[in-house]
Amino acid sequence: MAVVLDKNDVDKFIKYAETENLEATAVAVVTENPRLTMNWRGDTIVDLSREFLNTNGVTQVAKAFITAPKAEDCYREACPEQLCDLPFEQAMGENLSRLEVCSQIGLAERFDASIGAATVIMPFGGKTQLTPQEAMAAKIPLEQGETDDATAMSYGFIPAVSRWSPFHGSAYAVVESTSKLLAIGANPLTARLTFQEYFERLNDVPSRWGKPAAALLGAMQAQLRLGLPSIGGKDSMSGSFEDIDVPPTLVSFAVAMTKASKTVSAEFKKAGSKVIYVPVPENKETLMPDWDKLIAMYKAVYALMEQGKVLSASVVKEGGAAASVCKAAFGNKFGFAFTKILTNKELFAPLSGSLVLELEDGAQLDESVVAYDLGVVTDDGKITMGNSSIDVDELIEKWTAPLEKVFPTKAECPEVEVEAPLFTERNTSSPAIKAAKPKVFIPVFPGTNCEVDTARAFEKAGAEVETLIVKNLTQSGIEETIERMEQIIKSSQMITLPGGFSGGDEPDGSGKFIATTFRNPRVAEAVNDLLKNRDGLMIGICNGFQALIKLGLVPYGEIRELKPTDPTLTFNTVGRHISHMAYTRVTSVKSPWFAGVEAGDVFAIPVSHGEGRFFADLETVKQLAANGQIATQYVDLSGKPSGDIAYNVNGSICAIEGITSPDGRVLGKMGHSERKGDDLYKNVPFEKDQKLFESGVKYFK
Amino acid sequence: MSEVIRIFVEKRDGFNVVAKQTLWDIRHNLGLRSVEDLRYIVRYDIEGLTKDEYDKAKGIVLSEPNADVIYEETLPVEDGWRVFAMEYLPGQYDQRGDSAEQCVQLLTQGERCKVLTARVICLKGNITDEEQKKVEEYLINPVESRLASLDKPQTLDMETPVPENVKRVEGFIGWNDEEMAEYYGSMGFAMTLDDLKFCRDYFRDTENRDPSVTELRVIDTYWSDHCRHTTFLTRLSEVEIEKAALGSVIEDALKEYYATRDEVYGKDTTRIVSLMDMALMGMKSLKKKGMIPDLDESEEINACSIEVPVTIDGKTEKWLVQFKNETHNHPTEIEPFGGAATCLGGAIRDPLSGRAYVYQAMRVTGSGDPTIPFKDTMHGKLPSRKITTGAANGYSSYGNQIGLATGQVVELYDKGYVAKRMEIGAVIGASPKENVIRETPMPDDVIVLLGGRTGRDGCGGATGSSKAHTESSIETCGAEVATRT
Repeated sequence: MAVVLDKNDVDKFIKYAETENLEATAVAVVTENPRLTMNWRGDTIVDLSREFLNTNGVTQVAKAFITAPKAEDCYREACPEQLCDLPFEQAMGENLSRLEVCSQIGLAERFDASIGAATVIMPFGGKTQLTPQEAMAAKIPLEQGETDDATAMSYGFIPAVSRWSPFHGSAYAVVESTSKLLAIGANPLTARLTFQEYFERLNDVPSRWGKPAAALLGAMQAQLRLGLPSIGGKDSMSGSFEDIDVPPTLVSFAVAMTKASKTVSAEFKKAGSKVIYVPVPENKETLMPDWDKLIAMYKAVYALMEQGKVLSASVVKEGGAAASVCKAAFGNKFGFAFTKILTNKELFAPLSGSLVLELEDGAQLDESVVAYDLGVVTDDGKITMGNSSIDVDELIEKWTAPLEKVFPTKAECPEVEVEAPLFTERNTSSPAIKAAKPKVFIPVFPGTNCEVDTARAFEKAGAEVETLIVKNLTQSGIEETIERMEQIIKSSQMITLPGGFSGGDEPDGSGKFIATTFRNPRVAEAVNDLLKNRDGLMIGICNGFQALIKLGLVPYGEIRELKPTDPTLTFNTVGRHISHMAYTRVTSVKSPWFAGVEAGDVFAIPVSHGEGRFFADLETVKQLAANGQIATQYVDLSGKPSGDIAYNVNGSICAIEGITSPDGRVLGKMGHSERKGDDLYKNVPFEKDQKLFESGVKYFK
Repeated sequence: MSEVIRIFVEKRDGFNVVAKQTLWDIRHNLGLRSVEDLRYIVRYDIEGLTKDEYDKAKGIVLSEPNADVIYEETLPVEDGWRVFAMEYLPGQYDQRGDSAEQCVQLLTQGERCKVLTARVICLKGNITDEEQKKVEEYLINPVESRLASLDKPQTLDMETPVPENVKRVEGFIGWNDEEMAEYYGSMGFAMTLDDLKFCRDYFRDTENRDPSVTELRVIDTYWSDHCRHTTFLTRLSEVEIEKAALGSVIEDALKEYYATRDEVYGKDTTRIVSLMDMALMGMKSLKKKGMIPDLDESEEINACSIEVPVTIDGKTEKWLVQFKNETHNHPTEIEPFGGAATCLGGAIRDPLSGRAYVYQAMRVTGSGDPTIPFKDTMHGKLPSRKITTGAANGYSSYGNQIGLATGQVVELYDKGYVAKRMEIGAVIGASPKENVIRETPMPDDVIVLLGGRTGRDGCGGATGSSKAHTESSIETCGAEVATRT
């Protein structure tokens, strides 16, 4: 990144960069003379006038010819060919297993969705975490304080619609993106847009130039009619390889401010509620949206949203209304009964931008807006239309199968062989020296990324936080870091090893940076002093847990050499990163960190890691269980430790999520308990606050 | 100079997830059932450590006693197994080697040692030479990796020949069109031949000298489609619409575009009609009508920026929310991991440069069918499956490591994306407005480059993505993947 600075600020800036362990180098000076010059080996190798560079070269000239689309080929309003003649039971499953419609959970769950403790809705909602959400929402990031203000962002685009007509496809891309904002409770008529265009190489062929021209005209009309500007965009015009071209692509991204507390998710909420279908009003002649009516529709639905009368909402896209209903049902394993018999076209046409709304009892959409009763949410676990019905489980199978081999979700998971009974005996010993505002030390290694969330959680709980960025660009930086660490530990009551990817989880294993640093004799001695002589506490989360276990601090409570039989954390059995809300049970409350909860309490805690599989031999596990050192375990919806990869997401032995040292004062856990706050992860059930940080602070009072 | 130390590290049974996955991949996706078993070993060559330091490092940094087995200097391989090794091309960024060096230095607190890594694959089964070659080709993307020697090198010092002084393109300003065309053909420029002739005229008439090679490369980068939007700024001398039923609605939109231009620019405008102008006309018109009061405009060209009220603990402040989308289609197509990772990096850089804290990302991609078998892959292309899984790995690894929440990930499947993958990252950031200082650059201001170091793989990213690509691209382009932020 290049920054332009006043010359008086340069030294200060470079100093700040140094404290962040970053390199900063002055590379150029702004001159009065408008020329770009570059010197090397005493030779001026570049000396160009700014004016010449700014010409941007030769302006090319081209002609565009826009081919008119044919109404009868309109992809958006047609039932996909392969489904046309199938009976309901079969068509529903086939629809869900289409590549354009099927589940992408195995792809999406590689991406950390919860870091920053600002995510309002997880990408997949409901107790099964299977319902994909229409858009994303995050609270405005703050270091201190609380806000309900959040941003919502969505995209819209269906390749096959734009292939049929780039003009219509782009207009509907805008509509799809704004409808998605509405679906999560944001006001679509306040959206700001940005477009991504991606087209074939245009060469000198007018009909090829006609495609982006048509797309941009369609998008322009949408902007002018809805009063929503595209205030940015990027174009990429190289999508050709020999004689194949990418589909004419204009993706609309829409952003709006919203409230976390009012955010709505896509999964059905309760049996018995009425579900309505609200189409995008259309001009039958032009096949474009009827813009005025669309605005009225948006206003009416948003009014219902504001009153909190929309329980869940989804947007029609590939897969049609049928796919929207099925996916909304998956999250909480509800069923659905269609009000009347619909044609396959009504069920499966990708009428993008139309809405499927689950309403609160008695809620009514403004009568001037066209809407239809679609059906009722049921608790029989079946999707029913007339006399035909299909099990939701069967549909989930169809929906998740197609990409399973490309983006796997299933993997080996060991059965829970050792019963770890709830351990209710608390370690009530308290430290000899009390502290009204105990201090916690948070070291920040290259690649650590949870320090901000962790510091915020501790500060909110009443602790004083001191973070230290490890400097390793120079030998003296390392020396200085070790010295500072020793000093800070000596003046702290707690040490926290936060999550992240210290050293990028390299070389070939996580937490090695942290563990190596803590093995430094001076640091190790300070840690031992804190734990053994000063009754201090230590916690490591995710990458921090990996470091604790590699140091021996869990399960032994001290830094020691490891034996080949010691427990460890290794690669998830699914062989990739996993981001999910794990259901975990507090199995033992021996640790002071769990003073605020009861054994048996179940929480939904964000997990995000590639190497979280706890492994130890059964003998070790039994000992840990007997001694109350198994702190937390992955459980299923009934609260039972699970050997099912859907719940025990990394394939840990005995479903172990967190363990402690023998007396409980050192805790290591995979789940990010620090990623908590009001109105986060609203589409996933269970309590999310384990009060760990409050408990840590209270221990010293 | 100290000796090179070689160590092999292999995950023990039960921990060898990568070995199992690779075996499965080869048997099922590549379809080589003759491969019965596979070992996956990480090889480190280390230079600059004492024996004592190495002994400490091997059990802490290079391996973990409870998960790994180590072999020093030589790798024991049973009869009947085939062995080959893969390594990054020189200059390609190797996070494993880099982290190993840093981590060992934390341990020794001395000078940083040098570490080169490779991955050794052992195959068991009745495998022919040809089949082994197939596996090698399947696992090695020549854009970033190569087959590594099994012999230990004498030294890890990279041979870095001293570059020559920058040459002038002798005679350039005197060349005729034919000579120009010949030179143009030999340089692999992204700019057009007309641009090059335009350069000739400039150097001849204004500078009165021949250009240096660097100057032409700078111009080529600055004017690449990636940077100057060549296509979008092309003048459209004529826009015609097919006369047909649904043509009329497009015709109306075109008329509206012309009318809106008149409204925005005035009737006698000399501004050209272009795709860029069409892209901006909606915004310009709405702005003129005062319908974008929240738009935050400045001389900086970074990200979309709006001014919004944010209420914190009951007190309302002015904030800037910035968002940006970015594609890395070309780089992801040829080097999926690095290409997609830097797609996110590039997207982050824009709001970050606008001084916003980037807190959420979205990823929308376009791919060919990734379930089609490897053997049906088009010649000169990586398989869709490999591109899409490699890209997912790259983008997520960047986002997960930098600590950016990804709120939505969607892949659109369409056969057209076999021509070239679509890799879009979109990000959103925010900052209190009072934190953002924007001034006009003045003489004597200093430009500072900030960040971490990168591999050679980023050079030429802008021009690379702007060139036409054919079957030979994958071998000749190298990883033109754009710089890391």
